[in-house]
Amino acid sequence: MSKGNPKMVKRFSKPIIFVHWLNAAAFFVLYISALPMYTEYFDWLYAVFGGPAGARLVHRIAAIFFVLPVVIILLADPKGFFFWIKQIMSWKKHDFAFFKEFPKEFFGGHANIPKQDFYNAGEKVNSILTILTAAMLICSGFVMWFPQFFPQAAVMWAYPIHNIGLGLSAAVVIGHIYLSVGHPGSKASLRGMTKGDVPEEYAKAHHGRWYDELKDAEKKDDKRIG
Amino acid sequence: MAAEYLKFVDVTKCDGCRACMVACKNWNDLPPEYEEFQGSIQSHEQLTAHTWNVLTFNEQETTNGGFEWLFRHQSCLHCVQAGCEKACPEDAISHTKFGSVVVDADKCVGCGYCVQGCQFNVISLATYKDKRGKEYRKAQKCTLCTDRLEQGLQPACVTACHTDCLIYDEREAVLSEANSRLLQVKDRFPNANIYNPQGIKGTTTVYLLADKPSVYGLPENPKVALSQVVWKDYAQPIGKAMLGVTTMAVIGAVISNSIAKVKNGDKGVDHHE
Repeated sequence: MSKGNPKMVKRFSKPIIFVHWLNAAAFFVLYISALPMYTEYFDWLYAVFGGPAGARLVHRIAAIFFVLPVVIILLADPKGFFFWIKQIMSWKKHDFAFFKEFPKEFFGGHANIPKQDFYNAGEKVNSILTILTAAMLICSGFVMWFPQFFPQAAVMWAYPIHNIGLGLSAAVVIGHIYLSVGHPGSKASLRGMTKGDVPEEYAKAHHGRWYDELKDAEKKDDKRIG
Repeated sequence: MAAEYLKFVDVTKCDGCRACMVACKNWNDLPPEYEEFQGSIQSHEQLTAHTWNVLTFNEQETTNGGFEWLFRHQSCLHCVQAGCEKACPEDAISHTKFGSVVVDADKCVGCGYCVQGCQFNVISLATYKDKRGKEYRKAQKCTLCTDRLEQGLQPACVTACHTDCLIYDEREAVLSEANSRLLQVKDRFPNANIYNPQGIKGTTTVYLLADKPSVYGLPENPKVALSQVVWKDYAQPIGKAMLGVTTMAVIGAVISNSIAKVKNGDKGVDHHE
């Protein structure tokens, strides 16, 4: 932003921002406390948690904070939550066209991406994979936490499901973090998840269809007032 | 990984004296575990982290209306394809040159995955306290007295057995003895069979059972579970590779974006702003 104070538009509500970061923090703690078990290269992390028993305890506490955001958002901002769910389930031509152009943008080239929704197709994929992997991790994690209530075969299946959920979600998270804080083209989006607003110019460039809707709504408001 | 020596349990020779249990506790220095009377002459309900060997007493009605016990010396079978070993995320469980499956206590973190992975309910977690009073867990089970085998001795239970129900001998000798014993007991026990499940490439403890495996609570045809194959042979290596690939893509993007920036000056990359 080199043009002084750009015009901003509201993007995410306070509760959405809060649960996003709560979920992110919990995921990070879960990831770190599980890493020594996942790969032997991180065995030294056991010492950080005061031994395997300590790592298990931290993992279970973080697990609760990982599930909590869903409950909180359903109470605090159900509208925002269901808008998200509805959006990521909607797949149209402009969503599919996104992926043809995206690699160019990702590696720093110039891309002609068609106008996107409030959530662009990449964010939709990120959301769907996040929900899917979270469901895998939470369900299988619950079985692994309380194996005495489940048949042995179910517990034995919980391990690979937890394992696949971890691999997928970690891959998704790496891409997600990079695109929000690392990639120059979409850095402005991070502000939407911290302060809650984004520059209007950014909305126009990355979420054209949403921007058009905002403009239409403004016009209607103007008419009503005028 | 077939062992050259096998332990043979001929349950039809067992008289239920439980000397094997005592010898096991003695040699392995395991504490006694007191249990409530369960309405049976069997001393312990099942194997635990401190009781590696239980003589089970199955009460059965004979064909002519009489009563008999089916005894079984129950301890780790030391599977060639061991579920506990497959489940362990820390590579703490391994096979020795004797074919015995042993837990490396230094590597074990007490997660208990092996407890779920064992199809014979053999391995379990023992809870200990360190000097500061903090609790920690380690997986424990029969070692086939690997420490004795290393010294050229036989497993403690085998040494204690006075009916030759337990034998530790060369593989071929054990298998031919098992076959000839099977023929001898067929009249008395028509369901008798040799238990050396091939679904897990056999076990280092071979049984001559007097009845079907299920009568003794043993799986009829144990196999390496599909869930474990999916987990350890596919999910784990692919997951690790995938983390590598995404990390490489991000590193690639960082590099190519900074190259684009250098090339085009300041305007080039931030083309949206």
